[in-house]
Amino acid sequence: MMMRRFPVVVALASAVVLHAGAQQAPTGTRAVVEALASERFEGRLAGSNGERMAGDYIASQLAKIGAKPLPGRDGYFLPFDFTAGSRDGGSSLTVASALHPSAFKTTADVQALSFSDNAEVSGPVVFAGYGIVVPDSQNFGYDNYAGLDVKNKIVLVLRYFPEDADQKTRAILARYADLRYKAMAARQRGAVAMLVVAGPHSPNAGDTIPMSFDTALAGSGLVAASISGKVAGEIFSAAPENTLDAAQKALDSGNPHVPGFTFPNLTVTVRADVVREKQSGRNVAAYLPATDAPGNSADNAEKPWVVLGAHYDHLGRGANGNSLAGKDEMGRVHFGADDNASGTAAVLAIGEELSRQPRRRNVMLTLWSGEEFGLIGSSAFMATPPIPTDRIEAYLNFDMVGRMQDNKLTVQALGTSPVWAKIIEQANVSAGFDLQLQQDPYQPTDVASFNLASVPCLTFFTGTHADYHRPTDTADKIDYADLDRVVRFAASITRKLEDLDRAPQFTKVDQSLPSGAGRAGVRVFTGTIPDYSTEMKGLLLSGVIGGGPAEQAGLQKGDVIVEIAGQSITNIYDYTFALELLKIGQPAKVVYLRNGQRKDTTLTPAARK
Amino acid sequence: MAVMCIFGQIPSAPPPQYKESDFLTRVRRLTVEGKRAGEGYWSPDGQRIVFQSEREPGNPFYQIYTLDLSTGETARVSPGIGKTTCPFFRPGSDEILFASTHADPKSKELQDEELAFRASGKERRYSWDYDPEMDIYVYSQKTDALKRLTTARGYDAEGSYSPDGQWIVFSSMRNAYNRTLSAEEQKLLEVNPSYFAEIFIMHADGSGQKQLTNTAGYDGGPFFTPDGSRIVWRRFDEKGLIADVWTMKPDGSDQKRITDFGSMSWAPYMHPSGEYILFASNKLGFENFEIFMVDSQGTKEPVRVTYSDGFDGLPVPSPDGTRLAWTSSRSGGAAGQLFLADWNHEKALEAIRRAPLRKPKS
Repeated sequence: MMMRRFPVVVALASAVVLHAGAQQAPTGTRAVVEALASERFEGRLAGSNGERMAGDYIASQLAKIGAKPLPGRDGYFLPFDFTAGSRDGGSSLTVASALHPSAFKTTADVQALSFSDNAEVSGPVVFAGYGIVVPDSQNFGYDNYAGLDVKNKIVLVLRYFPEDADQKTRAILARYADLRYKAMAARQRGAVAMLVVAGPHSPNAGDTIPMSFDTALAGSGLVAASISGKVAGEIFSAAPENTLDAAQKALDSGNPHVPGFTFPNLTVTVRADVVREKQSGRNVAAYLPATDAPGNSADNAEKPWVVLGAHYDHLGRGANGNSLAGKDEMGRVHFGADDNASGTAAVLAIGEELSRQPRRRNVMLTLWSGEEFGLIGSSAFMATPPIPTDRIEAYLNFDMVGRMQDNKLTVQALGTSPVWAKIIEQANVSAGFDLQLQQDPYQPTDVASFNLASVPCLTFFTGTHADYHRPTDTADKIDYADLDRVVRFAASITRKLEDLDRAPQFTKVDQSLPSGAGRAGVRVFTGTIPDYSTEMKGLLLSGVIGGGPAEQAGLQKGDVIVEIAGQSITNIYDYTFALELLKIGQPAKVVYLRNGQRKDTTLTPAARK
Repeated sequence: MAVMCIFGQIPSAPPPQYKESDFLTRVRRLTVEGKRAGEGYWSPDGQRIVFQSEREPGNPFYQIYTLDLSTGETARVSPGIGKTTCPFFRPGSDEILFASTHADPKSKELQDEELAFRASGKERRYSWDYDPEMDIYVYSQKTDALKRLTTARGYDAEGSYSPDGQWIVFSSMRNAYNRTLSAEEQKLLEVNPSYFAEIFIMHADGSGQKQLTNTAGYDGGPFFTPDGSRIVWRRFDEKGLIADVWTMKPDGSDQKRITDFGSMSWAPYMHPSGEYILFASNKLGFENFEIFMVDSQGTKEPVRVTYSDGFDGLPVPSPDGTRLAWTSSRSGGAAGQLFLADWNHEKALEAIRRAPLRKPKS
């Protein structure tokens, strides 16, 4: 399962040939998980050699169960291109003022933002406060560009949002403090570049922003770079009556009327150089042709399809930013046994079971790559589908299904079709899970790609755990008996789908996540691991990160946070929102339920880099 | 040793602490379809459960369904219109009993009214309206025939059979409609109609209807004990705030208080072993119902069984005593659904044995 972030756009290349062999004895879920989560596949990072070998292994398993290449293809692989990451290729900045002409070249002083255009621009510099513009629709009245002309100029803005404003103001401004959003505001006003500095009163004061792993394919239409406090000081020396410190102080109350200004007699030249590493990954897809399809089209692709999918890629050695490895674990292979060798094994096992029975619909078995980079494989599939997507009647997704606790199985995306409740009820009477059902299809896994394409879908999940995205997610921790129960349950659901006389109806679920300008406003680290599988009131913790602020506050797995810093918490979104209001290093009262008892503690948030 | 025998028990030992998984394992959600479901009762062979659920398109009230535990198939056995509640399999036959208002010509109108109310976006607190048109029916699964067993005006429901299938005990509010009420009683009927509810018994064909209780306050939810020798039910106080579990002989004699729990303790059902009674109580908070159990004689303090957020109630053990079906809102939201778990009878016996003696309060 990927961490929650934005999906991205992808290109697709042509298919590669691999012939299906003769059908052999099936491989159990344990053998598949142990193979995929072995050292040999090196954590299956999309685009890596380990991912290629894992893809080959999966193809051999698909051949074993007699699944065929998709119609019109002669192999199982569906390659796609993507940006695997970005680094600074040597950005630079020159300050040319009457006093001190100076040049900066190190990433400690100037570093391109990952979404920057690659270009060199020169111009006068305008200080535009925090660079925040709250849209008129919010009826709030905050525009750091009010009265400023930035056309063809370079804007200098502070990172984050006013530090000392009241909670309500911070809550609003935080939503428009994402760097991409600030860049958009600058570009719309005609700026040619945006420089960002973390002010002396902010977290990470004076530091440039590490070029985070980012899958942006293209620039955002302007040059964007972060600069050190030293460089900012150099620029501010052109305005002797002002300093960065004083300028930030004036803004930090949240006062919307602090004007920006142009630095006199100063020209800055900034060159941004972002190197985006293009890679190619492979989805692996095969199908079991319908034996008795309604309509009897001669063209197999035109027959109705049910698609089963799971991503098989993982984090490699965790170098790309979404690893949760502890200090002593960094750089080790992230085996990804639960995430998501378990789902891959489930799809293969369901396919094996269904291959032995008659079918009224084509059953496609798809194993995605690039999921951990942001659903890239499944998005690529939908962007250039190998079969008509309107013939896909349903999609079942499996992501982390190997670590069942207390018989709890989470099934999400029920809101995508009215058929699900009855089918799941029937199938669960014999399967006997303590089902945790959620309507929401906007999940951080490949099911989101199908929901966007209006395909009725479900995703299965046995819950997160302390080994999530760490090298300790290993094959020996998988509960194979319960994984096999999930297989039988999902196979039963698939058979009920195949037996429907009509295609399930798709229903659109409104997205409950407030789709504001961005979520990069969260810059505090609390060390909580939320449990995404529950719809209970409050925020249930599936764990806390060792040594983190939550652990130090005495919080533990199973606690339900109901209030933090005076904000009541009813769900994960409330929690994310409340985090925006916390101040680093400032203790916040946390009210939580433990075994139904209301308790409170004090948590001191740390800085997220 | 001899000294301990004289005093019976070591005093002041703290009661043992339990958790839900001591008694309930493999907890599973049985119903998913529709807005809510509950009141699941087992077929005598343990292969099916009959329950009420709001899942009929166009009808915002409960209808009655059977659920086949081997195939997962459900089938509606009630008419589909009006309100229904409280089903029960008749032992030794193909019949299922339930209460229904479908004979009320206003049924469809009431459905539409409720749907319109919901569409308006308003919400009301859950309340059972004790529809005076509610009567007890028996449905034949073989012939589809529906036979009406009660005709008295006033809520007749909460019916269940004796183990031999020859008797039905039920709750009725007919005494509020078969005479002229005093002004005070009339007022009571408007605010708290269940005040008039008493336990009745009749033959399986509806003949010989006879009143067994005669105490102010809601007497309801009667079930025979597994050997048929007694009836277990819940009795509310006059104000309808405190309820306790009672048992009596099928002729209404020997009425005996089993709990004195100072809370709303209701929906009692005896385990097939005859050793203990499972029931629901809000002992731990007005809206937090949990399942408890108590020895059949009521000599001990009740032992808590469930430990989950939300409502847990209406516990019904399977005929072989190895599983428990109950209604719970533990999966979130206010609406209940039917749940099933494996039941640890040995552990339950042990916990009841170790429970402290009941301190008489009244």
